[in-house]
Amino acid sequence: MKNLFKELLHYIDVTLVYIKMAFLSIIEYPSAIIGWLLSNPIQFIVGFATIKFVVAEFGSINGWSYGQLAFLYGLAVISHALSMIFFIQGWFLGFYVIEGEFDRFLTRPLGVVYQFLFNQINIFGITDLIPGIIVFVYGCVKVGFSPSPANIGLIIVMLIGATLIRGGIYVILGSSAFWTRSANDFGQYTQEIFDKTTMYPLSMYPESLQFILTYIIPIGWVSFYPVSGLLGVEEIGIGSAMSVWITLLVGIVVMCVAGFVFSRGIKRYESAGS
Amino acid sequence: MKECVKNQKNEKFNTYLQVYKMQIIRSLTYKFDVYGNIIMQSIIMLASAFFWKALYAGNDSVQGVGVSDMMVYTVVSSMISVVLTTNVERRISNSVSKGTIAIDMMRPVDIYKVFFAENLAGVTTLIFQNLLPILLIGSIFIGVPVPASKEAFLLFVLSLFMSFCINWFIAVIFGMFSFKVIEMDALIQVKKHLIRLLSGSIIPVWFFPESIKNILSFLPFVYLYQLPLDIYIGKYDSASLTKGLIMQALWVVVLYLMFRFFKKKAEDKVMIQGG
Repeated sequence: MKNLFKELLHYIDVTLVYIKMAFLSIIEYPSAIIGWLLSNPIQFIVGFATIKFVVAEFGSINGWSYGQLAFLYGLAVISHALSMIFFIQGWFLGFYVIEGEFDRFLTRPLGVVYQFLFNQINIFGITDLIPGIIVFVYGCVKVGFSPSPANIGLIIVMLIGATLIRGGIYVILGSSAFWTRSANDFGQYTQEIFDKTTMYPLSMYPESLQFILTYIIPIGWVSFYPVSGLLGVEEIGIGSAMSVWITLLVGIVVMCVAGFVFSRGIKRYESAGS
Repeated sequence: MKECVKNQKNEKFNTYLQVYKMQIIRSLTYKFDVYGNIIMQSIIMLASAFFWKALYAGNDSVQGVGVSDMMVYTVVSSMISVVLTTNVERRISNSVSKGTIAIDMMRPVDIYKVFFAENLAGVTTLIFQNLLPILLIGSIFIGVPVPASKEAFLLFVLSLFMSFCINWFIAVIFGMFSFKVIEMDALIQVKKHLIRLLSGSIIPVWFFPESIKNILSFLPFVYLYQLPLDIYIGKYDSASLTKGLIMQALWVVVLYLMFRFFKKKAEDKVMIQGG
């Protein structure tokens, strides 16, 4: 018991060092942070503007009003940002495999999964958070979502669940590199698919696709179901608090599956070179 | 004498042909990547098609475009995105950050022509690996993308050729920024998102407000996707067509001149650093 506690303290210590390193990397590349501060907000503000234009043209998107869409979009971007900060490594897993980078992790006396995810906390992901929060707050005002402590609590739980789902899927996709030995990074495609399925109501897709995105690849839980529950837009058959807790549960399950796939994959890992 | 010059020219051309062949062989290395790319791009295309179908439910035509035209738009847009694939900016920024650019420039070939040959080779393989599979999948699940008319198709090919040039020049000019800026990733992202959202590749520019549409017609982005797509689905009249094609050609010229200008600057800079 005492040992376990000691080990936990050690992990916390290392994490603090990693976080410190992440902040130092901002100072190392000041031009990079300016670049990301420009690029990420542009992406999401322009993306949101196009939704506004489409809604102006078509009236609503599958029964969702403009304010409700802003709420959905904002939360989707925030969970995207959080997953970028903590789990972006999943996108680059292929490179780690090809370049033999896991040698470093495997020889150190710390968990491999832990090292892999935390050795580079992507502090630049914060630049994604800003547009997300702006659009989300805007959506809250439009739909009259009251910022009561209970509501804020639900939003936080939902974001944790959504971030875990995203992160888990990144790690599972990345782990395919253990079998394929390919360094192809599907990050861009993954993001585009996530954008299409989390920023718009899932109910606009055919039922077969909805089924897949609910039960098999549970992207629906990243934003659509919890937001439907919270705002009561669509009949999904579960209460608002319930939908949020299920999101968290789904997130934990996806993360566990990701951990399992990763640990199976790492057994197949061979170092680079001869 | 004349013969000699001609021979030299031939030899030069052969050099780039070799680069082209090499690159094709190189891009055939990873099979899994090919399947992965096809699957991912098809999912994205199908999702877009469903998106528009759901929006059009209850509307016959919006902005003079019906749902069937929108389906053609989605498939052809996915195909254009294959033709407009380029990584020349990353190619340049990598060789700058590794320091190999000086050696690249010392070689007795025009480095930009080498880049162009590599890019052309990349697109050639992608046509077989991605464009045709996407066309097939799109035809089966969404609908065969038939052009509005024979004339429209020929004009589309012409316009697409100019789109390719605009895209390549923008990329190469961007790549040259890496002589000045060390961290290129963010800038490349800015460019990518601007093109993605303002070129009509995902959401047609017709749906944008009038004022923004006007501004966009003076920027190069709409001449990458929107113009060829408009021509393909037959959403043009002689006035808008002439204006569009002239603007597109103008952008090709302007970007070419900018390319020449930055090329000179970049070369000077490498000389100074190298000495």
